[in-house]
Amino acid sequence: MKKLTYFPGCSAHGTSEEFDSTLKLVLKTLGVELEDIPDWNCCGATSAHVMTENLAYALPMRNLVLAERLENTTMGIACASCYQRMKVTKVHLDENPDLAKRINTTVAEEGTYKGSVNVKSMLQFAYEDIGPGTIKSKVTKPLTGLKVACYYGCLLTRPKNITGFDSPEYPVSMDRICEALGATATEFDYKTECCGASFSISNTEVVESLSGKILEMAKESGAHAIVVACPLCQSNLDMRQPDIEKHQGTRYDIPVFYFTQLMALAFGYPAGQLKFPRHIVPVEGALANIGKVEPEQEKVKKPIKAVAAESEVE
Amino acid sequence: MARVGVFVCFCGANIADYVDVPQVVAEVKRIKEVKYAIEYKYMCSDPGQGMIRDAIVQHRLTSVVVAACSPRMHEKTFRKALSDAGMNPYLLEVANIREHSSWVHQKDKKAATEKAMDLCRMAVAKSIANEQLHEISVPVTKRALVIGGGIAGIQAALDIADARIPVVLVEKSPSIGGKMAQLDETFPTLDCSQCILTPKMVDVASHPYIELIPYAEVLELEGFVGNYKAKIKKKASYVNFKTCTGCGACWQKCPVKVPNEYNMGIDKRKAIYTPFPQAVPNKPVIDAEHCTMLLKGKCGICAKFCEKGAIDYTMKDEIIEREIGAVVVATGYDLWDPKPYEEYGVGRFRDIITSLEFERMVSANGPTNGVPVRPSDGKVPKNVVFIKCIGSRDEAKGIEYCSKICCMYTTKHTILLHHKVHDSHSYVFYMDIRAAGKGYEEFVKKAQVDTAATYLRGRVSKIYKKGDKLMVRGEDAQIGQVVEVEADLVVLASAVTAPKDNPELARLLGISYDKYGYMSEAHPKLRPVETAKAGIFLAGCTQAPKDIPDTVSQASACAAKVCGLFSGDTMKKDPMISTVSNEYCSGCLNCVKVCPYGAIVTDEVPMGFGSKELRTVAKINEGVCQGCGSCVAVCRSMAISLAGFTDPQIINEIVSI
Repeated sequence: MKKLTYFPGCSAHGTSEEFDSTLKLVLKTLGVELEDIPDWNCCGATSAHVMTENLAYALPMRNLVLAERLENTTMGIACASCYQRMKVTKVHLDENPDLAKRINTTVAEEGTYKGSVNVKSMLQFAYEDIGPGTIKSKVTKPLTGLKVACYYGCLLTRPKNITGFDSPEYPVSMDRICEALGATATEFDYKTECCGASFSISNTEVVESLSGKILEMAKESGAHAIVVACPLCQSNLDMRQPDIEKHQGTRYDIPVFYFTQLMALAFGYPAGQLKFPRHIVPVEGALANIGKVEPEQEKVKKPIKAVAAESEVE
Repeated sequence: MARVGVFVCFCGANIADYVDVPQVVAEVKRIKEVKYAIEYKYMCSDPGQGMIRDAIVQHRLTSVVVAACSPRMHEKTFRKALSDAGMNPYLLEVANIREHSSWVHQKDKKAATEKAMDLCRMAVAKSIANEQLHEISVPVTKRALVIGGGIAGIQAALDIADARIPVVLVEKSPSIGGKMAQLDETFPTLDCSQCILTPKMVDVASHPYIELIPYAEVLELEGFVGNYKAKIKKKASYVNFKTCTGCGACWQKCPVKVPNEYNMGIDKRKAIYTPFPQAVPNKPVIDAEHCTMLLKGKCGICAKFCEKGAIDYTMKDEIIEREIGAVVVATGYDLWDPKPYEEYGVGRFRDIITSLEFERMVSANGPTNGVPVRPSDGKVPKNVVFIKCIGSRDEAKGIEYCSKICCMYTTKHTILLHHKVHDSHSYVFYMDIRAAGKGYEEFVKKAQVDTAATYLRGRVSKIYKKGDKLMVRGEDAQIGQVVEVEADLVVLASAVTAPKDNPELARLLGISYDKYGYMSEAHPKLRPVETAKAGIFLAGCTQAPKDIPDTVSQASACAAKVCGLFSGDTMKKDPMISTVSNEYCSGCLNCVKVCPYGAIVTDEVPMGFGSKELRTVAKINEGVCQGCGSCVAVCRSMAISLAGFTDPQIINEIVSI
């Protein structure tokens, strides 16, 4: 059995509990055992790094030092923001030994930072360490007929020199995972547009406008649902959806799943275990598409026709 | 007794601001061999040189030291001043107190002055041991090699050949013409590119002084200025050009279709093909990578339909040699691949094309008969967005430099679109409009009025698809707002980049190239067409991005340089080269291994003492030696001496400080 150090972050125990619990279900099926970091602390989130450099690095560093006490080589992180803070810290500390030494004095009582643990988001872990092939092999109830728009947000793949994962502008890892589950990933150009993030609380209108565009484009792409790997994206797109609809005078009715929820569903877990009632936008309508076979559409990919060239040959 | 004159230059403020020049003069005057020392604002100017000439005569100087800029800059100038005063020019020493002192120690005038003094002391001491040297004469092969058959190579070849100097023009593709042959009309006058280019192509083919070698590559260049030998690989064309009449039966019948490079892959060509109907030579070649006969031994249709029996599937690559005296490098440019612009959906959206693809579409002999179409559905676009600086001026994704031509050709494209699709509208996203050139700004201004194109100053941040339209979102910095344009077609003005083979070619020619892969000129301002290697010149975009007028000017300049080089039957060569003393040479031949120019060969000389036995010694080829001194450094028996840098000279320098 594979073992993975787990950093759930605060949202996994609150707003994104369904991410946390379905993640545990699918990893069980995939034979991965999660080991929590003992006595983990806040990653610093959006506040620390705008306040002091020391705090911005020291908070994630303490978690990294604690993770090094465990035997696993990789730390998986559920929340995109936690992942970002942890990864930025790791990259900067590894690049700059003087910085590492300086910050280490703040967390000295936990030990010395070695830089021996890899930091990955759960999406990256699922894509790179498990892979769509293995995921596909565990599918018992394929999601055929379900069209999804995979939304990555800003933090999972960017900036490229920090994450080193997938494309910063048009990532496809989640699309490949959803396809492995039998679903269809739509061509969705708003994959990495900003959802408004933490303005959800301080300036809701911004979120309504930004997330509104994402919902609109997802709908336009023909998707029945949006799939995410970030708790804040999920809450903005799902929880704010009724406000956005009211604000824009439209109706989207497009549920927002964590990719682990869809994995669990395809792996055969009963819907009752997937915490769907926690969603604001009801999921039933979208899930009803599973199993529906659409008439095969003609592939309209005609090449441009050279008017002149054709006449000459044959 | 040596009588040295020292001339210290202010170089305007370049030296004088950071080095106390009068103090340097006072200091060198204390050296007993220095009989005359003076400072002057511009020593390289005519009055400055006059001071040197007069002092040589008046003070009966035996050597001269000029403390000024790098010898690479003005050594020749000052040597000439010595000659004019009747003195051997090699009795000059240059103390480089600009690049080696004032420019690099701008924060410490005292230290810079002291260093300048040291440099002068060394130069004085060295000059005392200088010997009179005389230029060497070497014979010249009066034939030029031009590499690349675009407009740069064509112009250089024609100008050289018109001076009745034979030219070998080597082109890697089956036809000459280069990128210019792909263009529709040219800025700023909208001349038809084909109409002004193809007559020149024909001139090349019919010129009695030009040997055109298409479908070929230069493999090796050995020798030295005036006496190069080039190895050229003629790639197998599988078509006998002597018997082929270019009738076209073969390519009409060929069943294999391959993306057509000439049309940027928009349509297909055959496996046996001429790149375009106006090709020179107008003879087809077989593309060995795609021909089924060559790959699998099946087909042979072209041979069957060739009435002249010109098809020869057994043809092999052929290596030929040419003796030449000078080389013009004119390898042109490549277009930057815009793939890194993922936020634009490059590669995902078929209706995003590059400028050269657009150029082919609007071209009268293009794949769509001169009408731009959307690659996705073949419809004629109404709203076209042009985005400039794709890869250019972009340190994050592309390259730092400005590609120079994109502002102008994008303006041209808005006009061409306006001409071809009357109810269309152009939107141009730009950073700056760089229209420096004769008639350029006027061209842009007029186009903006005539086409009523919308110019939006700002970068595009995203392109996404909405229905069958492309939504282009960017900033209009002049109103400080984000704008979105609904486009049918997006045209990217991709950066000009150096040909990817340039570094390899530079290595085999022995010239240098910059970090981008462009060939380096000898001096950015004063020697822009020469390379640091004597007898090798640069024309066109192989050196840096350029438009057609600049390219043609530089090509003609190359021709002038070549003609100048070939103006005598022999050529003067710097005498600062190595010589081997046979008495001391032990024949270890370490020098042969380190010589970067292959200038050292072996020789057999008698053992001496009346013996008839022979022994091996090193021998330097005067013509090839460049005087780098590597052999001197490795010679363990101190048998090699480099004129101008002899042991007494160097030891004098060291002792003086």
